[in-house]
Formats: sequence, C-alpha cells, structure tokens
Amino acid sequence: MAKKLIELKDITKMYDGTAVVDHINLYINENEFITLLGPSGCGKTTTLRMIGGFEKPDSGEVVMNGAVVNDIPPYERPINTVFQRYALFPHLNVYDNIAFGLRNQKVPKAEIAERVENALKMVSLPNFALRKVANLSGGQMQRVAIARAIVNKPKILLLDEPLAALDLKLRQNMQYELKEMQRKLGITFVYVTHDQEEALTMSDTIVVMKDGVIQQIGTPTGIYNEPKNRFVARFIGESNILDGVYVRQNLVSFMGAEFDCVDTQFADGEPVDVVIRPEDLDIIDAVGAKLIGEVSSSIFRGVHFELCVMVQGKEFVIHTYENRKVGEHVGLRVDSYEIHLMKVEHVEH
Amino acid sequence: MNIKKLGKLALPYLVWMLVLVGIPLLMIFILSFMNTDGVSFAGATWTTAAWEKMFTLADTTNLQILGYTFLTAFVATVICFLIGYPMAYIVARSPFSNKFVILILTIIPMWSNSLLRNVALKNILSESNILDSLLSRIGLSFSIVFANQDQATFISIVIGLVLTFLPFMILPIYTVIEKIDESLLEASMDLGANRVRTFAKVTFPLSMKGVTTGIIMVFLPCFSGFAIQKLLSSGTVYVLGSLIEVNYIHDINFVSMLSIVILVLIFGSMMIVNKVDKEGATLV
Ligand SMILES: Nc1ncnc2c1ncn2[C@@H]1O[C@H](COP(=O)(O)OP(=O)(O)OP(=O)(O)O)[C@@H](O)[C@H]1O
Ligand SMILES: [Mg+2]
Repeated sequence: MAKKLIELKDITKMYDGTAVVDHINLYINENEFITLLGPSGCGKTTTLRMIGGFEKPDSGEVVMNGAVVNDIPPYERPINTVFQRYALFPHLNVYDNIAFGLRNQKVPKAEIAERVENALKMVSLPNFALRKVANLSGGQMQRVAIARAIVNKPKILLLDEPLAALDLKLRQNMQYELKEMQRKLGITFVYVTHDQEEALTMSDTIVVMKDGVIQQIGTPTGIYNEPKNRFVARFIGESNILDGVYVRQNLVSFMGAEFDCVDTQFADGEPVDVVIRPEDLDIIDAVGAKLIGEVSSSIFRGVHFELCVMVQGKEFVIHTYENRKVGEHVGLRVDSYEIHLMKVEHVEH
Repeated sequence: MNIKKLGKLALPYLVWMLVLVGIPLLMIFILSFMNTDGVSFAGATWTTAAWEKMFTLADTTNLQILGYTFLTAFVATVICFLIGYPMAYIVARSPFSNKFVILILTIIPMWSNSLLRNVALKNILSESNILDSLLSRIGLSFSIVFANQDQATFISIVIGLVLTFLPFMILPIYTVIEKIDESLLEASMDLGANRVRTFAKVTFPLSMKGVTTGIIMVFLPCFSGFAIQKLLSSGTVYVLGSLIEVNYIHDINFVSMLSIVILVLIFGSMMIVNKVDKEGATLV
C-alpha cells in the first residue's frame, strides 16, 4: 500500500471574509504525481502555499508524515517550491541562485558545483551559470526556478504552473524530464496547472478544483471518462453535454430518442446530464439514424476534423477522420458504453 | 530617440553647468595654487603654500583638525547606521498599511529646528541642565558626567550629528527594504534558510543600495558642516568647516584648497554610490 505523505484535513482559508479554499480534504501518497487543476483564481496557489508553509489555514490541519505541521516554518519542511512568479534572487547570478539551497544545507563546494551543473543541463541551460537573472527571458527564468528547486532533491516538490512560459517543444521536454525525476528520485510532486492536457499526460492523480472546492479527485482516465459533473466534463476536454432522463436500468432518453447505456446508479425517471466526448460520436447515414443533423462547420485540426452538427437546434462537436461538407445531412451514432451519465447538480454556473 | 538628438537637448544644460559649476570650480582649483589678495588676480603669484599649510608635518594642527572632523563624522555615521537600519527595517516589515506615516512620525522630531534642538541638547548635556532643575523640585537630580571636557565635547558633537542626520540614513534604507519583494524572502525560506540567514543572504544584500546612499547622505554633511560642532563645543573645537568659516575672508587660497579636499571626498563617495547603484540597477 502506498504511504500517505501529506494530508490536508478539512482545510479552509479565508481572504477578506470569503473562503478561497473551502473545506478541502486530500491526501497525497509518497512518490505520487498529483495535479491541482482548475480555472484561474480557484485557489490552487493558495492550497500549494499552505502545503509549503507560507500560509496558515484558518481551520483544518496540514499533516505531513503523520504530524500536524500547521506551525512549522517553510525552512523546516522537506519541501521545495517552483513559484508561479519565479522569485529568483536579483542580486545573485544563475549559479548562486541554484546553489542557494545547497549552501544552506552546507553541501561541500565540489558537490554543489556538480549538482548545479547537472541541474542546468536538465533544464537545457548549460553555460548560463554566470548570467545575471535580470537579463534572462521569461522562459529561461522559469527554468532557473525549476533548477533551483530540483537541485535540492527534496522529498516533496511543489510546482506552481512551472511550464507556463515555455514553448511547446521545450514544455514537452521538461514534462518528460520532470516525470523522469519523479521515477528516478522518488520525489512526490504536487503540481499546479490550468492546462488540462498537461494534467492528463503527467499526473497519477488529478484534483479538479472550482471556487476553492474540490470537484473531483481521480486518475486521468477516470476523470476524463467519468466526470462527476458538468464543470469537470467541460473543464477536462471538450464535451457534448445534454439533458436526459434515466428511463430505467440501462436505458436513457435524450434528444427525443432512447439509448442503451451502462450506468446503473440512478433511479428510474431521474433527470441526468449526459456526456458524450467528441471522439465517441460516429457519423453515419442520415437514413434510420436516431440523431440527424446538418453539418454547420468543419475545421481541420491536424490529425482530425472538428465538425459541428446541428441536431434539433443543439450543436454537437464531433472529432472524425473523415471530412463532411457543410450543409450535408448526417446521422450520429454513439456506443452504449460511451454514453456517460452524471447526477444533475442543483447549482449551475 | 537617438543619441544625437539627446545630445542637442542636453546642450543648454551643459552650457549652464559649465558657466555655473565648471568655471567656478576651475577658479577654486586655480586659486588653491595661488597667493592672491581676496578674489582678485592682481599681483597674484603661483604657490603651493595653501596645500602645504594643510599637509605639512611641521605643524600638524590642520591635519589634526582634518582627522578630528573625519573621526566625528565617521562615528556619527556608524551610529546612524546602527540605529537607522533597525528602525527602517522594523517599520518597512511592519504589517501596517500606512507605514510611511509611521516612519515620518518617528523622524519628525528630528526635523524640528536644528539650532533649537542643538541648543536644547547642549543644555541637557551640561552640568546644570533643564531636566535637573525640573527634577530637583521633586528631590531628584539629573546630570551626565563625562570623564573630561574633551570627551564631553566629542560625545556632544556625535550626538548632535546623529540627531540631525539620522533621517537621512533611515529614509533611503526604508525605501529599498520596503521595495523588496516578499516572495524573495519566501523563496529563501523555502530553500532552507531560517529568518536570520534569510536576512543575511537576501534582505541585507538587497538593501545595500539604500545603505550606501544613507551613509553618504549622513557622512558628507557631518564631514563638511561646522555649525553643530561649533555650537555643541561652545566654539572650542575646530572642524574642516570651521576652518573655512574663519578663513574665507582673509585667506581665500587656503579656503579654496579646503573646498577641493571636501570636493574630492564628495566625488569619491559619489563614485562608490554609482558603482553600487549600477549593480543595484538590477534590483528594480
Ligand atoms: N494574499 C491574498 N489576499 C487576498 N486575496 C487573495 C490573496 N491571495 C489570493 N487571494 C485570492 O484568492 C483567490 C485564489 O487565489 P489563488 O492564487 O490561489 O488562485 P489560483 O488558482 O492559483 O489562480 P491562477 O491560476 O490564476 O494562479 C483569488 O481570488 C485571489 O484573488
Ligand atoms: Mg496561481
């Protein structure tokens, strides 16, 4: 069984009378890659700062290795952070920035030099050791910030949107390097991003947040295939979300037709939200199809085409390898196991 | 905007500087190497007499004055730093929203009239002082006892200088500390530095610019002034400034030489500031 390294127990943080983080419960296993995912302002950074010790929760407990650490200062926690705004020391050059943590630990000089050099290589900035940080580009600063944290090989690494300023190629590179580090060094990663694709590719566990409340915790496939509510479904990739009624076991009705389905945990006649991913809809002949519509737009997305099909005034997004002409009448088909049903939430935004 | 345009814009300023600063300075420099009758070149001759009068070992009176001036200014500056830095730091790092007002409140007393303040100080430091006469009414007494008159004078002068120039130390230091980004201190603690180490490795280096400015803003007036020293020593002590004061009428050459000495010192310190500032430019 994996060992619980960090636990957040019923954590709340208030700013100016509003709960920015609202009764969060979460545990993080040793060597887990956990990602906090959510829209801007949902409390990701605040949660991270409470784990790092820069902010005290107004209520609840941060537990580390079984001990409550609410009052332990950051410098006594086995944690290093890559800050969202880098926070590089302007009076030190790149080398001294990265060596800062090692010097605090009184690591021998020769070892510092070697580890800093390796860290610089890892973030693709060799020969940058003597540069002033003020003259670096945003992406370079971000990489120095990553190097400054990972060089210490902490037990826990907190990363606040660490790749936001990098171009695609570099970002993929760094994603790979970070995953490698997690595997090789056994570091526990708490990662913040609002890029759902990054979250899906890198994480062992994803925590989807909204307005300081956890919406869903799960594996990438679990969250993608079985979102708990409309918000999660929308936030994790594109989705077609429809109002439906759970007729009886294995039968759901929406858009005026009845479909087989595999979900079972609803009452007969209960209203449900129906989620169908764009890639799960197939285009078939209009004749005899349960869903018939007219193609309203078609965009080439590299590998696939993104079609919009109007069915009874409702727009469906479909990803397909075969293009269809705008104005064409087509039928849509979906397999029973690709229809995902969610409980209807009473509060909707 | 190209350099040439800027150059043209700067021209009036350059002329202005040349007429009002450059030429007078040159005059002072020339005068310090002459023997003239007041500010008149009639019958003037070249001589290094003024410089010899200062830097001779035959009669070290003037050198001693230079030394005493330097010592008082130096000690006052060090004390200003030792008091000013903590004050600036505490206020800048305090959680209040209107820190600047608090800072001003702490230094307003030092902006009261300098003459009055120093007269009062002189009185308090003397044997029969106002506090003593007040306290004697309830049977108490107050007087500061010094080992000897020289010590009394020296300490009075230093206190007077500190009280007068302390704000010039506090303000620039406060300004830079206030500007230091909180996230840098967090980063330092994140990397394992406790509060003391964070101060030594981050806060203090980042406040060096303010410290240098403060030191120069305090040291220069302490070094070149004379009024406070004269008042607090009842005219018994001569500093460089007093040499200028007493000599400017009858020995313009000697006074010119003294001005040059002070100027060299000022320019020297400016260069230090500039150097630190250049490094500090990355801070902003
Ligand atoms: N020190 C503070 N004082 C007051 N409000 C704050 C403070 N820090 C954060 N907030 C507020 O708390 C909310 C959550 O902020 P937080 O930085 O955690 O969001 P985030 O999820 O990291 O967003 P982003 O993706 O934009 O970085 C925001 O509304 C923010 O304005
Ligand atoms: Mg954030």
